[in-house]
Amino acid sequence: MKLRRPNRPAERETVVALIDVTFFLLIFFMLVGRLDATAPFAVQPPMGTTGTDLPAGGITLSLSPSGDLALDGAPITATALDAALTARLTANPATLVRINADQATELRRVLALITRFEDLGATDIALIVTPEAP
Amino acid sequence: MPAFAIRRPPRRHSMISVVSMIDVMMILLFFFMVTSSYLNLDMVPALQKSDEVPGAASATAAPATTLMIRIAAGGQAMVGGDSLDAPALTALLQTRLASDPLTPIVLFPSGAAHLQDLIRVMDTVTRAGAVRVRVIRIEASPATQVTP
Repeated sequence: MKLRRPNRPAERETVVALIDVTFFLLIFFMLVGRLDATAPFAVQPPMGTTGTDLPAGGITLSLSPSGDLALDGAPITATALDAALTARLTANPATLVRINADQATELRRVLALITRFEDLGATDIALIVTPEAP
Repeated sequence: MPAFAIRRPPRRHSMISVVSMIDVMMILLFFFMVTSSYLNLDMVPALQKSDEVPGAASATAAPATTLMIRIAAGGQAMVGGDSLDAPALTALLQTRLASDPLTPIVLFPSGAAHLQDLIRVMDTVTRAGAVRVRVIRIEASPATQVTP
């Protein structure tokens, strides 16, 4: 005896679930990704286990071992940096200045930069570190 | 009823295609997946508004003796001419901090040392319990000074 299944109409696959999942992933990566600490050159922050949580906002200045500078991800010269930083600090003197320097940067560059920012009126400067090995 | 009534053909119910939206969303998704950095970032304060009262240091009974740690160009921590590794430095710091928890620690790094060396020594000092840590530097000579 042969049982015949009734001919089912071909179901249309719903794409709504796919859109839901994609949106979820999109929003997840938008929130998790840190676009603010990027630099046009490779920067490997130094390892430090006693750092505190990095607050959002403020200015991020990247510094490469060869002395290249980038302000909030855009390359900048030392002369233009002074003007840009002065403008930002005039608008808000309590702006946090984050220095994202490579771990192989010589301290003469880093410390000179901190001193210059202090002269420009910065009152809150932080060095970015990472608690994990690369 | 007018004689020339133009009757439009009934429009078919058109569906908006979601395929292009999915395309755009996928492109955005891949962009954020690729550009995201998953490095866990922390910060070490380099300059903070001093919350110490100027007269607070003199309020302590005995004037605290400053401990100066030099950081050589190779990254070694030096105290009084001796090169100390991390355990020896921790032991020294704990001895000094046990007698006076507010011992000021002054770090004097060589300009040729790397940032990682300074952060490593700062880690050791902070973990030993020091609360008053300063980094000092000698002003660059006019020949090497960066013009502002």
